[in-house]
Amino acid sequence: MKKVVDVSIPIGPIHPCFKEPCRIKCETSGERVLTTEVELGYVKKGIEKIMVGRPWQETIFLAERVCGICSVVHNTAIVEALEEISGITVPRRAQILRIILNELDRIQSHLLANYSYCYTIEHETLAMYLLNLRETSMDAIEMMTGTRIMTAYVVPGGVREDLSDKNAAGILEATYTLETELKRFVKMFETGPMIALRSKGIGVLSVEDALASGVVGPTARANGLPRDAREPDPLYHELGWHMILRTESDNFARIMLRFQELFQSINIIRNGLAALEPGKIRNGGTMKAGKVKHTVEAPRGALTYDIEIDSAGQVVSVSIQTPSIPNIEVASHAMMKNLASIADVTSTFISADPCIACAER
Amino acid sequence: MTVFSYISEFLRPSWIKTFFTVKTPPLVSPPYFRNFPTLTGKECTHCLTCKMICPSPGAIDVIQTAGVWNPQIIQGHCVRCGYCVEACPEGVLTSGDLLARKKEQGLIFTHEYIIKIDTDKCMGCGNCTTACPVNREIDPQIGAGGTSFSDKVLIRVEHGKNTVLHNELCKGCKTCMETCPNGAIHVIRNVVALQEEK
Repeated sequence: MKKVVDVSIPIGPIHPCFKEPCRIKCETSGERVLTTEVELGYVKKGIEKIMVGRPWQETIFLAERVCGICSVVHNTAIVEALEEISGITVPRRAQILRIILNELDRIQSHLLANYSYCYTIEHETLAMYLLNLRETSMDAIEMMTGTRIMTAYVVPGGVREDLSDKNAAGILEATYTLETELKRFVKMFETGPMIALRSKGIGVLSVEDALASGVVGPTARANGLPRDAREPDPLYHELGWHMILRTESDNFARIMLRFQELFQSINIIRNGLAALEPGKIRNGGTMKAGKVKHTVEAPRGALTYDIEIDSAGQVVSVSIQTPSIPNIEVASHAMMKNLASIADVTSTFISADPCIACAER
Repeated sequence: MTVFSYISEFLRPSWIKTFFTVKTPPLVSPPYFRNFPTLTGKECTHCLTCKMICPSPGAIDVIQTAGVWNPQIIQGHCVRCGYCVEACPEGVLTSGDLLARKKEQGLIFTHEYIIKIDTDKCMGCGNCTTACPVNREIDPQIGAGGTSFSDKVLIRVEHGKNTVLHNELCKGCKTCMETCPNGAIHVIRNVVALQEEK
């Protein structure tokens, strides 16, 4: 008779499935995973401490470097927090340009998340298709800002550069490429029987656990929880945003929700390009002293900047609450509890889209 | 069903065309790519605006070679933000099509300098006041202890503490910061991103 043994299996810090170093300690009974724990701290950067005592034109570059995947939204979040403190108004054209860039950023982040999930469940063909498609959105970002990742596009009172008609046409063309290609890939993911075997009913997050933890972003929305920081923004509603929810709350739901949000982002970009009217893109404005807690919706969930600045615009204290922190916690303590196989640990972890660089800012 | 879906996937004309004609695309940067700033050949006036606005320490330096001042980019430190290109009043630097966009859309960065004195740390020695080049130009008779009879100076020592009188005169040279033994004085540049009306 086979003897069931209790083993503690470490996964990481270096593992082909992880984009960044982290370690998952799994307590197993035979093949069944009883409980897991995620250990972070391999790439701590200390950006919050470096920001203290610096004016805005330096902190916005530091904020971008918190995370290489969602750098645009970090830039937007800190600038909007500073604008809220100082009472700076932004022209409508600049607001729409910011939304277009943020949605392009969301597209490339969701595509990367779905790529890494497909790669983790060893569907490398679809993974490489998605990664190839991500280049289209990266090229659109470059068309708009001049760089692919560290865009430095958002400044207090507006944006850096205006969008020319030629580049707007290029971005519109990119959205059509993205949509036609994505339709095929979503069909491949949705109807693939092997993908369903590895995804459906695995890593289910119960409603009690989801409510008890502070789960945010697509991970929460795949559980039926309407948590989206874009909801209070009237401009997003004007451009055709609505809450997308799924209720299966397993790995499949989380990936499918990101696919659905991609189509919504494409729609928002098109509506935004259509709504662009000629006008100013910068209002200027000087900094005033104050303290604010500002939340924006990053690709992974609610991103909060708790920032205090003095009268000269220098940062007195800053605390960055990234969406990956609650999502990693809920993945380790609730999703990966009682998994049937040790092989599902990495795929369940990746389905929550953990960003170690964000968590260790 | 699955077999048919695979066949339909691989019989697409675009897939077959890519399969037989695939090659690595040439490494060409698009014209709007914001690369490291390069010189346009216009005359640099040594105003140091590029160095003042640069968010990355030690990324740009203005040096003199054969009697001509020119900015030099240290590529290991430069973050390619393009602030120096936008801030330069003479158009000495360019990066991608940023200089053309700046002229077309009227993008400017203005800045002012704010002197901030930590009164707890300041002991009123007057080192900053005597070292300040603006002060020495306005009042050459400035006292060794930092006292001055002129009301037009930038900073002076009053009642044992340093006091800022005319903040708008500050040129941002940060000489005061270097001479302060206690680290009590700070020069902060406050940048404002603006667009000129056309």
